[in-house]
Amino acid sequence: MSTAALHAEHEAHHEHKESFISKYVFSMDHKMISKQFLITGIIMGMIGMIMSLLFRLQLAWPDDQFSIIEMLLGKWGVDGKLDPNFYMGLVTIHGTIMVFYVLTAGLSGTFSNLLIPLQVGARDMASPFMNMLSYWFFFMSSVVLLISVGVETGPASGGWTVYPPLSALDKAMPGSGLGMTLWLVAIVLFIVSSLLGGINYISTVLNQRTKGMSMNRMPLTIWAFFFTAVLGLLSFPVLLGAGLFLIFDRSFGTSFYLSDIYLEGVGALENIGGSPVLYQHLFWFLGHPEVYIILMPALGITSEVISNNARKPIFGYTAMIISLLGISFLSFIVWGHHMFITGMNPFLGSVFMILTLIIAVPSAVKAFNYLTTLWRGNLRFTPAMLFSIGLVSFFISGGLTGIYLGNAALDIQMHDSYFVVAHFHLVMGSAAIFGMFAGIYHWFPRMYGRMMNNTLGYFHFWITFITAYLVFFPMHFMGLAGVPRRYYQFTLVEDFDVWVDVNKLITVSAIIAGFAQLLFLYNFFISIFRGKKSAQNPWGANTLEWTSPIDVRLHGNWPGELPTVYRGPYEYSRPDREEDFFPQHIPDESAPEVLETEKSKKAPAEKEAEAETSVFFAAVKRVFGLG
Amino acid sequence: MAAADVVEAPQEFNPSAWDWNTILTLSLILLVILVIARAFDIGSLTEKISGKRIVSSHKINGWIAIVFLVLGLIGVWYEMVYHGKYVMVGNAASEHGATYDSMFMWTFGFTFVVFIVTEVLLFYFMFRYSYREDRKALYYFHNNKLEVIWTIVPAIVLTFLVLRGFNTWSKITSSDNEDAQEIEVFAYQFGWKARYAGADGKFGDNSFTFISGTNPLGLAVEGSVDELTQSLNDEIAALEALVASADDSAAVWKARLVNFEAQGRQRAYPEEYKKIREMAMDAESGAYVRGLEKEIKRKSTNVKRIAKFRADEKMFNKAGYDDKVVTEIVLVKNQPYVFKFRARDVIHSAYMPEFRAQMNCVPGMSTQFAFTPIKTTDEARAEKGNPEYDYYLYCNKICGAAHYNMKIKITVVDNQAQYESWLAQQAPVVAPVEAPAAPVAPEAPAAPETPAVAIN
Repeated sequence: MSTAALHAEHEAHHEHKESFISKYVFSMDHKMISKQFLITGIIMGMIGMIMSLLFRLQLAWPDDQFSIIEMLLGKWGVDGKLDPNFYMGLVTIHGTIMVFYVLTAGLSGTFSNLLIPLQVGARDMASPFMNMLSYWFFFMSSVVLLISVGVETGPASGGWTVYPPLSALDKAMPGSGLGMTLWLVAIVLFIVSSLLGGINYISTVLNQRTKGMSMNRMPLTIWAFFFTAVLGLLSFPVLLGAGLFLIFDRSFGTSFYLSDIYLEGVGALENIGGSPVLYQHLFWFLGHPEVYIILMPALGITSEVISNNARKPIFGYTAMIISLLGISFLSFIVWGHHMFITGMNPFLGSVFMILTLIIAVPSAVKAFNYLTTLWRGNLRFTPAMLFSIGLVSFFISGGLTGIYLGNAALDIQMHDSYFVVAHFHLVMGSAAIFGMFAGIYHWFPRMYGRMMNNTLGYFHFWITFITAYLVFFPMHFMGLAGVPRRYYQFTLVEDFDVWVDVNKLITVSAIIAGFAQLLFLYNFFISIFRGKKSAQNPWGANTLEWTSPIDVRLHGNWPGELPTVYRGPYEYSRPDREEDFFPQHIPDESAPEVLETEKSKKAPAEKEAEAETSVFFAAVKRVFGLG
Repeated sequence: MAAADVVEAPQEFNPSAWDWNTILTLSLILLVILVIARAFDIGSLTEKISGKRIVSSHKINGWIAIVFLVLGLIGVWYEMVYHGKYVMVGNAASEHGATYDSMFMWTFGFTFVVFIVTEVLLFYFMFRYSYREDRKALYYFHNNKLEVIWTIVPAIVLTFLVLRGFNTWSKITSSDNEDAQEIEVFAYQFGWKARYAGADGKFGDNSFTFISGTNPLGLAVEGSVDELTQSLNDEIAALEALVASADDSAAVWKARLVNFEAQGRQRAYPEEYKKIREMAMDAESGAYVRGLEKEIKRKSTNVKRIAKFRADEKMFNKAGYDDKVVTEIVLVKNQPYVFKFRARDVIHSAYMPEFRAQMNCVPGMSTQFAFTPIKTTDEARAEKGNPEYDYYLYCNKICGAAHYNMKIKITVVDNQAQYESWLAQQAPVVAPVEAPAAPVAPEAPAAPETPAVAIN
């Protein structure tokens, strides 16, 4: 009796036992957990977006009253005018939600959970129970954070980085009271969730790969999730330490971050000997890798989607992995570029500047590789493909401004200006959210067995893409003109009057972008129930997730034996094949030695391509007079 | 400020109309989009039934990409022309500003070329290679030569930028000029003060423990510090009395609460009720006394620390009595300065964009920034064509509710004489002849809005 049959029997038994609770609530099936992460992430994303629209209204029309603000915020919006303290609270919670709850948990949690077992050919995560805990810690964390918005003294309001002493002293601002305590509790729960998930992702990738799935045949999505999990595992504990010290300072009278403070209305405090800058070091030791924890899964998804829809192998598979590895490594030693002007030793500043600018090299390699993948492809514009291309565009636009900000000298002027806001909203905000959308559109059939509506997807993409640029592009100019971020209004500085119109444009664009997300929500939820039934492999993809039955919900992913893998995931448009894709699990009839490498035999089309590139080189040589 | 408010009445999109009408309009727009989407679906359905392709969505998206590219480039150009002129480049008011601006232009040059080339290629490829059934993509998975090139070329460009940046950074941060005049800039929630050394050119010592209402910078001034000790001791005595009578007060609060509830006034006066209930609960649980004891401990620590410093004669050497604490910074053109920053409560950041200068002000840590102004306020006014124009130092690190309005004026004057006549008008920390024990409230004779020297 084969193991498959045994397993099938086990499965049948298992199915029989599943109750509603164990199937939908405390599920240990990675596919269900990924849906839980996704839905929670979408809800948090909507909340974060609505918050941003509220403070955008304030920035665009600081002298007007909005009944909607009073309706939604009550005492924080008396007479339809946003309270300055609550403005800070909104900014803080918007940042926290977007960075941690949407783009870390919502993106990584969803797609790592869905794709790691399915794409490496595993029946589930290494520890399904820990995986379930990971979601429920995340859920608790989200609930605590949302509760903190409603407390009497308002939510945490020191910015999403919550620098002490502002965040450590409840008399420094109202938001540093109970709201800040709850923020810290939420983040501690979040870190637990993230660590439980990360350990699982790493051990699944390392141990649970199916036969033939060597590391160098893994899809780039898996590589990206893998590096992301390693980054999270190494950096989140540091944030936990930073958070615990902050909790001690707040509640137990320690002085890790506090020294020489006199507070209006309180007097001189007892704390001496601490350093507020210590917190910044600890925070950014997580904070910088966190940027890549957000971005890398999006890049992985993009690699997969672009290759699949260009019907073309991803260009430079190995280079893509090495650049991911390089980015991961460098991300740990560049945190100081957030602190050039904290007063740290200028020599340290120069070291961080050099290390930071090196990151531009692997990033450039990635961008060029995406472009070359598109070159002479046969581009199918599914919504997922459009969002991936949008990501590449944002990655370039936002990445290039990083070269300004990573330069310590230029940072003197640009630090904490709107230029920074523009930079990170493009390169990690918009880019990562576009990666998430690409993932949702692409793997929706895999999750729900149905298709999303393409046309609505096109509208969603183009409106969001255009408005995102309209929102963030003008901000560069504001920043370069010296407009500081996190200002409640600009009317008190005459010099900033020229930006009133720009602020209005930004807010109107943001509102339109908000409405475009309603298209997505409608499309998403309607398609779950009423979408067109999906084919088994709707995108003609090579990877293993499309071999597991799409129409039945199966805990264990494959009914019989696990598929065996014969080649890498990006064999699209092979000249020797009739079809333009060649799934990983199908043995090559024409070549019995399935382990034959790509290098041993050059396909004719590649020669053609090399001929073309040599023409290119000849042209370059002629232009520069080298030939 | 009020005038500014009046001027910028909303123009095109009236937000006060942001009521149900607007919401309805926007919903209508949404509906139209949905209808168009439906129409597309019908189109694709017709295609399926008739078996004929009407128009491929791939082609449409390819065309939209080209339109986006063209409009996007026009948008970039528009922004460069219409908002680029506000960008602070080439008009720095400080000596190192020119170095800074040239660093900026080099970075801009490289990144702008890359930006245009890559974005054009991206959208052109979208258009050029959109899906056709009769075509097969090129099977092309790597080319070492190409990959090496686009690793090395960015690396070379970045090496150049790094070296240049390193030079600029070193030049800006290591300007330890002997002639530089020191000015202390003090940040607090929510404002700035500056301190100039008096005739002796020396700053008096200070400590955060000396800060009081009459001594906002915590300067070592005997009278003021003794007064503070006295008032702290008074406060401690008052708090101790409260602790002693805590049992009584607990009973009083409880009686009040019972009384309040008996009279059924909870609903009519919810605020008072909440307060009384909280006080009664705190009193009963002992939180009230613990709070008082914490206060006492804090204040007596402060008293002890003051006493320790007070014995230090070097600290109270009266060097700072002629210091001048002012609410406006006046600088002389071409004179090098070192700003020494101090923060009272939370982190602030001193941001002077016109001077290409910024430095955080961190409690418990002294930071500094050195620069030389090279353009007077009058020159800046003439350049901008705005006779009202002034330099400001803004707060650029989130510090609380009024963060957005925390600034101090910087005036750059043409020559030393103007500066000295301004400084002479400022009151010293302790008036020289009159009874030395009575400190003058430093900010009391608030500096005139525009100093006489700044007027032409």
